Amino acid sequence: MKKLPDHSSDIMFAIHRLGYGPRAEEYDSLVKQSLAGWLEEQLAAPESEQEVSKRLDACTIRIKYEAAEGKWSAVDEMRPLTSLSKPIEDIWRVFDPQKPMPVHGYELSRPRVEVLAATLIRSVYSHYQLREVICQFWHDHFHVNAFAEDRLAAALPVYDRDVIRKHCFGNFRAMLEAVACSTSMQYYLSNQSSRAGAANENYARELFELHSFGRENYLNDIYNRWRDVPGALVGKPVGYIDQDIYETARAFTGWTIEDGRGIDNYRKLPFTGRFTYVESWHDGNQKRILATEFDPYMDAMADGRKVLDLIAAHPATAQHMAHKLCTRLLGANPPASLTARVAEAWRSKSEAPDQIAQILRLIILSPEFLQSRGRKIKRPLALMANYLRVMGTNFTPNETLVNQLTAAGQRLFGAPTPEGIPDDNNYFMGTNAMRNRWNLILGLAQNTWGNGISDPAAALTAWGGKTSSNREAAADWFRLLGVSFDPKWIDMAITTAGLMPSAPLSLDNQKGLAMVSALAALSPDFQNC
Amino acid sequence: MINVNRREVLKALAALGVSSCLPSAFGLRNLAFAADDKQPILVVMHIRGGWDGLNLISPANDLDFIAARQTELRVLTEGKDAGYPLANAMTDTIDFRLHNAAGGWAELYNNNNLAFIHACGLADGTRSHFVATDMIETGVGTQVDLMRQTNGWITRSIKAQGRSVSALDAVALSNGFAGDLRGLHNALATLDVNNGLPPMGGASVSSMLWQMYENRNDELGEAGRLAIQLPMNIDQRILRDEHNRVLPYVPENGANYDKAGSSAIPFKSIARLIKMDLGLQAITMDYGMWDTHDNQPGRFRTLLEPLSNGMAAFWNDINAYHDKVVVVLLSEFGRRLRNNKSNGTDHGRGGVMAVLGGQVKGGKIYGNWPGLGFAQLDEGVDLAVTTDYRQVLAETLEHIGGRKAADIFPSFKIGNRLGLFDESA
Repeated sequence: MKKLPDHSSDIMFAIHRLGYGPRAEEYDSLVKQSLAGWLEEQLAAPESEQEVSKRLDACTIRIKYEAAEGKWSAVDEMRPLTSLSKPIEDIWRVFDPQKPMPVHGYELSRPRVEVLAATLIRSVYSHYQLREVICQFWHDHFHVNAFAEDRLAAALPVYDRDVIRKHCFGNFRAMLEAVACSTSMQYYLSNQSSRAGAANENYARELFELHSFGRENYLNDIYNRWRDVPGALVGKPVGYIDQDIYETARAFTGWTIEDGRGIDNYRKLPFTGRFTYVESWHDGNQKRILATEFDPYMDAMADGRKVLDLIAAHPATAQHMAHKLCTRLLGANPPASLTARVAEAWRSKSEAPDQIAQILRLIILSPEFLQSRGRKIKRPLALMANYLRVMGTNFTPNETLVNQLTAAGQRLFGAPTPEGIPDDNNYFMGTNAMRNRWNLILGLAQNTWGNGISDPAAALTAWGGKTSSNREAAADWFRLLGVSFDPKWIDMAITTAGLMPSAPLSLDNQKGLAMVSALAALSPDFQNC
Repeated sequence: MINVNRREVLKALAALGVSSCLPSAFGLRNLAFAADDKQPILVVMHIRGGWDGLNLISPANDLDFIAARQTELRVLTEGKDAGYPLANAMTDTIDFRLHNAAGGWAELYNNNNLAFIHACGLADGTRSHFVATDMIETGVGTQVDLMRQTNGWITRSIKAQGRSVSALDAVALSNGFAGDLRGLHNALATLDVNNGLPPMGGASVSSMLWQMYENRNDELGEAGRLAIQLPMNIDQRILRDEHNRVLPYVPENGANYDKAGSSAIPFKSIARLIKMDLGLQAITMDYGMWDTHDNQPGRFRTLLEPLSNGMAAFWNDINAYHDKVVVVLLSEFGRRLRNNKSNGTDHGRGGVMAVLGGQVKGGKIYGNWPGLGFAQLDEGVDLAVTTDYRQVLAETLEHIGGRKAADIFPSFKIGNRLGLFDESA
């Protein structure tokens, strides 16, 4: 006879911390795996998988707007996800001022809506859960607010697909350049409009502060006295100063996007949204960055690439990334013994095409990882996906659900600053965030937003739970979710759901039964992992 | 931990479930301590992203300024982009002009309720948003002190009062807490109070939640308990009709939020919170996206207009509370004197703060104008900081609560008084 999951096993911990919990149909094979075996399978994730592809193909998201006289007609349809595999130029066309194509704002933000829908589907259905968790990490690390303007919404499918997902287990230096050249980052941190003469510093500053060295290695009290930075005179400065930012901004001038702009009186860029390099916008004079001299007039893009080389190989980047990844995977204040090993490996593997996978292996298979149980609050996306995966709900994403995640503190692809969503338990525990994470579970259980009806009795059976009475079923819901409970919660949950504790399982009241499962999922134990 | 016991919460929840819908019948009185209606309220507006003080209040006829900046990023003295002249500026020789999208502020300034402080900011030379924001919200002046202080400056100022006057000391109109409220437990974060804050899932679900979080001795347990208790303080004071529907808010004194745009919801929420007489000591609000590295002229106007209009409507709305409320606006830094080629400005140093209040000696720009000549600039590139931001906060706290600056900002030596407040009242 099937037994309820054993939450004390390492693999159950791993699938909750490194994924969004198990699904009933995968559980038996999951628990037969060692953590190392499971991890290898996860790191070898294929680009696409059948169930996810099937669901992405079948997914439709409503688009509805009124007609505008002489511009567009009214639309109200369930539309499939059409932008996920498109190249940028196919999506970018609508912005071309030479070929005005008036469309409703919802058409412009549609690519973002589709990436959001796909993200939710993958979170719930992908077998390769680690990839989903790590892609969220990178989206926060290399954050672009796709809600800030329509062009950023339009660029999101390519950013998610060809930058974040493509490089999520790969090499950091390669990822840095993919990010630097992406339409998303070029627009978000204003590098596309940067020009020789008075370069725009937005990208340069966040490249150091957020993407690599981290603020702990910003030695701003030294400002422009680069020789005073410890190690600078032997070409190994320990940190960066404002002068490095100013010079780096110069190094990235000319890195831009084909947006139809004129280069001179005779030439203009095509209108594709693709990355390009414009020599005449580049500041080619000599530079000094991180105590390293840059020759004047180097080859196309060589200045920027040299900066990325210096940054990617720098010990400060290794330290910062080690700490940040360990914080995401283990919780706040990760053990220094581990972050030191990870930083060391980060540097020694810096040339490896699978550098990031090797780092993840080191962290996840460390003894420290298993000791970090219960230290992370589930982010709202994790809470949502975990509940739906346990329930086996036939899930449909929509914008209302996305807004619920936002209310609970996780505005996917839309944090207000380039810092991304904080990786801090406290951020998700404010009054508003707590209320809305409870509401998230309640709404999913009751199908308030049309995300799919659950069959709680069937789900409980699939997990090996007892379904002979409301009381037995309710207790098994708490057990299934890994919640240690006070016995009096059981009858209280049943009564709160409008059912009778002593009655046989109320199969005629699926909503009530779903409510019982939701109440179990509201408990503190289910909020953590 | 807040002194609210289990029986009171359960009683309150039960009352919610069965009572008629009039607030007076909610039976929640025991939750809040008797609110002291003389309690002054500090409203702190975080201007996120580092706003360009030089584009907000320009030294419009300063030749160094004109030479360094393109016209679109300066307030002008004539033409359609002419700004509001500001009397009582720091020097007689410079024509300081307020951006013409800030009509609401010009009015408050001319009524002597609003004061600006120019060339003000952090003593530390950071040009990082995140470091600067952390230092300001923690209330320190160096990165070393940032490591030493764990809680926010508003938190310290509330704790320095030595008494919690209500079950709810502060509200942040944002999804989470900014650093200035770090370490304050009886504070609530919400984006909007206009629709009430009823118990999630209704009274019976909230009772179940209370059961599950009641005895949990960790941060999550406390977060859960607070998320059940704190909203009741506000929700019971939201007026509802006989069908338990929230009644629309009616501003007072003819205040009109129509031109407040995106700032209407937070400003109305602040006005309502003040009028609830909850015994609140502080309210914070975030107003972001000032990081204008490109296309600054349009973006600056789009941000400034609703903020200025919203604040003017809000001030009108809370007419009866002018002697109790002080509003402080602050941003993490100012921006570079020279613009970049993206029609924007990069991170700089000295910026502008503003203080609004019934006892503020307004209609004046405070501070020492350092000038914009090469030798006067910070590192040759930025408006220098001549007034530490804590000078403004210290005078504000001393005014509203008689709190000694030294208790709140331990490593800060209070400088020459700006004299922002009329202490004779």
